Amino acid sequence: MKKQHHIDLAPGDVGETVFIPGDVHRAKFIADHFDDAEFVAHKRQYVTYTGTYKGVRMSVTSTGIGCPALAIAVEELINVGAKNFIRIGTCGALQKYVKLGDIIIATAGVRGDGTSREYFPLEYPAVADFHLLEALVQAAGERNVKPHVGIVRGHDAFYTESILANGDYLARDKEWIESNVLSVENETPTLFTLTTVRKCRGGTILTPVGHHLFPDEMISEEAMKKAIALETMIALDAAVILDSIGNK
Amino acid sequence: MGSQDVHSKRQHHIDMVKGDVAPTVLTPGDPGRVEVFVSLMDDAKKVAEKREYITYTGTKDGVPVSCTSTGLGTPPTAIGVEELIRIGAKNIIRIGTCGAIQDFLKPGHMIIATGAVRGEHTSEEFISMEYPAVADYRVVRALVDACEKLGLPYHLGIIRTHDAFYLESPWALGDFRIRLKPWVDMGVLALENESSTLFTLCSMQGIRAGTILASGYSILEEHDEKIHHEENIRKMVTAGIEAAKLLHERGLA
Repeated sequence: MKKQHHIDLAPGDVGETVFIPGDVHRAKFIADHFDDAEFVAHKRQYVTYTGTYKGVRMSVTSTGIGCPALAIAVEELINVGAKNFIRIGTCGALQKYVKLGDIIIATAGVRGDGTSREYFPLEYPAVADFHLLEALVQAAGERNVKPHVGIVRGHDAFYTESILANGDYLARDKEWIESNVLSVENETPTLFTLTTVRKCRGGTILTPVGHHLFPDEMISEEAMKKAIALETMIALDAAVILDSIGNK
Repeated sequence: MGSQDVHSKRQHHIDMVKGDVAPTVLTPGDPGRVEVFVSLMDDAKKVAEKREYITYTGTKDGVPVSCTSTGLGTPPTAIGVEELIRIGAKNIIRIGTCGAIQDFLKPGHMIIATGAVRGEHTSEEFISMEYPAVADYRVVRALVDACEKLGLPYHLGIIRTHDAFYLESPWALGDFRIRLKPWVDMGVLALENESSTLFTLCSMQGIRAGTILASGYSILEEHDEKIHHEENIRKMVTAGIEAAKLLHERGLA
């Protein structure tokens, strides 16, 4: 099989579990938390490292921002043998009780994106893989972290629904805030629908770096790095748990 | 005007007040299935009967569990669920039957929904179609553990909820296979008429919900078998009651 067109990877280049951050620079940051890792490929915004953690082979491939870019990465990674996808990301918080730097594990996604609609009718639910979700929750517990576990919203137009948005973004947020949606980001609904239908596993762990209800609060560079490191470790541990349960 | 203090009132359709139901309520569509629940409990008292909403509350191995039928379809289910939440239900588990659409499904298998296709309209009146009809993962785990404990084969996955039975069933008008093909190809396990409204409403209000269904053969196949065996329905309800016990043991009820 030739190398995949956008991610520039061939079968054997990645482990069964691949972490998929949005940020191009976060790929190396995540790989640095493996026990050992080697650079594999960089094409467009798709940067891949592969290595091992606690004896389990795993990879990281950055996707860039948004569902269109993520869909390409997931499709091509599945073509070269990946089965478990864990998004490690940031988001904007929607609930008063969610603080900057907290850990959020997504059970499902509000499908505010366009890509998943091209693939599947809107009625089809964007749901995290059950076993991967449990692995993330277990891994968080083992690090004495109490995550927020619930629904996140993924959508396309950052500048309509963020603290940097034009106009009254809270008016748009209202129905989501009132229906227990924890935060807003730009990738999860396509990840969840696509992996479910392709009979792979999808999961998302996030940390809020901005808050829609408290737009003047800024997370410090240091706190953000710490939170991303923590969610990375939880994701790595979840991958090991997943490896131990096999093909359930 | 308005709904001040709705929680302290006798609920208009289910005819119950706070204290009438246990924290975990099993919700079959068919009022006739409540008696299966009653026969499996150590004790159960009839609490209310109004329209299609029949409620019994009892105990199993010391754990309180209730059963309230919702009637067929999402409109009465939405009413039943909303009123149950107002009188204190914390876990609502649909115990139902379905039309299986994957050939690996057989009578005696259980289907545990992780999410549901919102092919119905009621939930859309509550919130836009983008919002996910997802089962609560702790209810899913309780149902999985219940099936493992009882030795029941089970399948985890997405089910489809829709409104028009006579468009997607073996007795449908026209070629229902064409309508079903996209869902079959997406791996959807079965069709029924209540869950996605249950999941949506409960998620919106922070209440835990799940669904367990007794499967038959795929409706896309020809079989001489009766549509649903009473014994398999009994096993499914037993699993629901066991899941309610597990939720209680885990401090969730």
